[in-house]
Amino acid sequence: MMTTDETEYGPGRTIPHPILFRVLDSEAEDTTVPEIQVEQKSEFAYYPGCVDYYDMEMQFSHVNYGDTNHGIIFDSSIKLLRAVGIEPMILDRSFMKCCGHDQLWQGKVDVFETMRDYNTKIIKMLGVKTLVTSCAEGYRTFKLDYGLEKQGIRVVHITQILYERGLRVPPQGENAKKIRVAYQDPCRSCRQMPVDPVYEEPRELIKRVDNAELVELKTFRADAQCCGVAQMMYCNDKTKGLTRKRMDEADDVDADYLLTACPKCLTHFGCLHHENKWKPGEERQAYRVMDITQFLAERLPGDYPTGSNVDPKRKEAPLPGRKGGW
Amino acid sequence: MEIEKVKEKLMEGRPGFTRQYGPARSDHQPGIPFFPQEVTRDLVLIFILTAIIFFLTAAVVPSLGPPRAENLSELIVPDWYLLFSWGLLKVGDIFPQFILGAGTPLETQFNAAFWGDILSGIPVIFLIVLPFIDRGREARPAKAPFRSALGVSFLLVWTFCASLYAIREVVAQRWQSPNGAPLFPDDTMKWFFIVPPVLSFVATYVALRRLGFAPMRKWLVPLTAAPFLVVAAQSLLILFMPGWLAASVQPYWLEVAVLLLILCVASGATALAVLILPESSARTVVHIVGPASLVAFLGFLAFLFTTDYVGYLWVATVLDPSMNTLIFLPGFVVVTAWFGLRRPYSSYEYLLNECYQCGKCHTVCPITKVEDDALGGLNLVYNSFKKQHDGVPLWTCLACDACSAVCPLDIKYSDYILEERARAHARAAADGGERT
Repeated sequence: MMTTDETEYGPGRTIPHPILFRVLDSEAEDTTVPEIQVEQKSEFAYYPGCVDYYDMEMQFSHVNYGDTNHGIIFDSSIKLLRAVGIEPMILDRSFMKCCGHDQLWQGKVDVFETMRDYNTKIIKMLGVKTLVTSCAEGYRTFKLDYGLEKQGIRVVHITQILYERGLRVPPQGENAKKIRVAYQDPCRSCRQMPVDPVYEEPRELIKRVDNAELVELKTFRADAQCCGVAQMMYCNDKTKGLTRKRMDEADDVDADYLLTACPKCLTHFGCLHHENKWKPGEERQAYRVMDITQFLAERLPGDYPTGSNVDPKRKEAPLPGRKGGW
Repeated sequence: MEIEKVKEKLMEGRPGFTRQYGPARSDHQPGIPFFPQEVTRDLVLIFILTAIIFFLTAAVVPSLGPPRAENLSELIVPDWYLLFSWGLLKVGDIFPQFILGAGTPLETQFNAAFWGDILSGIPVIFLIVLPFIDRGREARPAKAPFRSALGVSFLLVWTFCASLYAIREVVAQRWQSPNGAPLFPDDTMKWFFIVPPVLSFVATYVALRRLGFAPMRKWLVPLTAAPFLVVAAQSLLILFMPGWLAASVQPYWLEVAVLLLILCVASGATALAVLILPESSARTVVHIVGPASLVAFLGFLAFLFTTDYVGYLWVATVLDPSMNTLIFLPGFVVVTAWFGLRRPYSSYEYLLNECYQCGKCHTVCPITKVEDDALGGLNLVYNSFKKQHDGVPLWTCLACDACSAVCPLDIKYSDYILEERARAHARAAADGGERT
């Protein structure tokens, strides 16, 4: 830990992630609604959010031979929703904007409001009755900050609708290895929700995997510690320290999987997880970090809907070093 | 454990389970309930006191002093704190007066005195039912705007108007038009019982809701537009409808027109600003229009008063009898718009000042585990609010709401963070920084 003299306070720490957010902000300015082809009309809509962006941006994503795979959240979600008999319309980012959570929490209220109005217009235009998100921040933003519930559109986190529709996970076989699964409660979908916090549903879903044992971290539910970074504002030794603390909690309970329901948590856990692998001898966390949708979808029979999320180059051994082999 | 049990809040309060917070929380502060425990105790005390009084009046014959002399003034007033009751007795004659069962032993006179007695009971009834209406645990006005506005604003103004009516003879004698008629006719003063209390109630209600962060724009639009239409319609009638402007006031129609124009412009500009402008610009308009029209109105009256006193009195015969609409409504429009458009900045102070520094937030704040500077104690947000930090916490805060979840006073720190960041961003934009 640094001493007070060396603390790098100043404007540098207040500047949000520059490039990604410049891109998202400039996207918000264009509010012309493109022509939307609806392949299959449904009252359910799934909003994948900005996960695809992260997958391209992040050095540690599977594109760069890391373990973290944001893109698979989308495929897993569709697979899971199909398993409970829902064929959702996909609110793709080709015509939807970012939900605006990060812009709002960075204080750019005007940008957020542009995005909100645009997205609300499209959601209403498509006649959505139930909006499913796989992202904790999206859940909070659509439910509270957009006020979609007041306009008659139900907003659910994907674990809620999977639980509600009774997702069945088939037996994993007698030879399946027993695994210990820890779940990280994202702040946005749990503690910060005055209505319908998502505490129980993910846990109930994990328990339906017969070879998985749910272990609780040292702090959990409403007391759960934050993953360390919110709204991608900064990345420094302090935030890494928090992420490290949280990941150590998973180590303490001997978890095999650390699951979360928030791509931001996944990003930062994945980042540290990847970083710790730079030097093979120093690998600290033996468990895997993934999104809960990926974990559940892996345990369902059948292939992923698009089948395109696995990088063919992934068969090769990852190269050491930050740059990977891209 | 089953999800249904959790949703029924069976697990509430156990470690790791969320405590309810926010306005919807259903757990109450411990204590003795008002009903029936406290009511029983108080009733016993009341009955004992009443019994003592009955006993004393029966046993001791009081001396009332010599009878009142016949040649005293007609104007009898009680002590000031009972004036409202006296005013209510006087206003009793607005109700129908009749006699039931005349000639029978059960003859009952429903006269002004009877109605006055009934009216005097209304404030007492209000005080009796207040604890039954007011069942909340909140004592702060912004948290309970309706009853605060009713109890404080409405009742105060209403009491004042009732007291004023008690001395209606003095008012009629003191303010007279040049031809000897009272400037405040009896009807106008009777309307004082309704119009000013209701207006002040609405204005206070809007102000308190705004203090509690409610966006009041939707309320302001009808609340400003309707009074403006009333004022404008009455002004037009006075000026252009034959017979409304008395012959003796005709020479002063220009002065009357100027004053009415000031009132119409004040309410009209405010209503229009509330209707079409964005909130900050509307606020600016109200800040300018309100004081400017007040200065113009009073300045013009003062000018008339010093240059042409008789003219001033004739103008007053138009304005004063219509005071309830012409004077009170424009004032109400400006004040309500001002209250309803206020920046709720000081109310954050109001909310965060609830904090009694228990320090639970510090215990759970994840930042304090890694920041050297944050070891001093208490929540980062609270410290930055109290200017005991350099402002960095505003951006260091993860908005994870761990502090709000444990706060015994249900303060939502993440909302404060959101507001302050938006403000900082707007400030940066105002300083020439890039907005997006």
